[in-house]
Amino acid sequence: MWKNIRRYIIPGIIFIALVVFFFVKFYVFKESATTVASQKADFVVEAGDLLSTFEKDEKVANDKYLNKIVEVKGLVDNVTDTKDDITVYIKQKGKTSGIMCSFDKKEFKRKGAKSGDEVSVKGICSGYLMDVILNKCAVVR
Amino acid sequence: MKSKIISLLFVMSLFQLVSAQKYITKSGHIWFYGETPMEEIEAHNRQVVSSIDCSTGELAFVLLIKSFEFKRALMQEHFNENYLESDKIPKANFKGKIDNVSKVDFKKDGTYPAEVSGDLTIHGVTKHITSKGTIEVKGNKITANSKFMIVPKDYDIKIPSIVENKIAKEMQVTVEMAYAPN
Repeated sequence: MWKNIRRYIIPGIIFIALVVFFFVKFYVFKESATTVASQKADFVVEAGDLLSTFEKDEKVANDKYLNKIVEVKGLVDNVTDTKDDITVYIKQKGKTSGIMCSFDKKEFKRKGAKSGDEVSVKGICSGYLMDVILNKCAVVR
Repeated sequence: MKSKIISLLFVMSLFQLVSAQKYITKSGHIWFYGETPMEEIEAHNRQVVSSIDCSTGELAFVLLIKSFEFKRALMQEHFNENYLESDKIPKANFKGKIDNVSKVDFKKDGTYPAEVSGDLTIHGVTKHITSKGTIEVKGNKITANSKFMIVPKDYDIKIPSIVENKIAKEMQVTVEMAYAPN
């Protein structure tokens, strides 16, 4: 009897405890990712095309792009650095709206961009207000 | 000819006057906080679009639910998928006005107390709210701050009974806006 407990039950308990520990650590308390740098884009589009899809029919565009990783190509209009994040604003000349891309500071430091650059940026599409909004962005090139 | 130029100048200056009265921001910060002994919930949204009209006191906010960032990924997932249903209802907004706008001098630097009232729409449910805050004028920049409480239940946000006691019944919402002239 004692032998059985030692052989099966104790290792069993340790195993279950480990499973619970890793579940809690890596699932329940998992920290939000700060960048999509390592993930593949679901869509690759020109900035102007992405914007016009939202301008034409927001609902259709939401159904297609919301929560997806979108890679946009376009011209950087300006870069804003605040204490919490960095925003790269991609906008065509003469337009009043564009694509607002929010970066985690560390990711932007790894690979950034500046005003006037032609860039490809990927991020998670959160929706459309005055601009199309991409979060957790990373510069592709 | 001369009168035409003068009238054109007049119209232009009028246009400038009108447009100068509206201030906007695309990177306003709204965050909420709620705590129980078991759980602390905090999420930040730094992409709030807001406008303030200095002459009428009209105030508007619109934000994307998906732009709220939580520290924990699972919490953010539950918030979006189960509680706020952000795929179905991606936005929340507020439309209202500064009731005591006549007491705020947007041309003079200073900090003014503000009383705001209007309709807040979250999760597709609209409620009339009032809140106190401050407006700070400094040069051509306006910052506005306010804090108020909301009850998720009022907005038809269903929290399953199994986690009901872990999530605060009331959330404190903090609004921090830095406007620039439009």
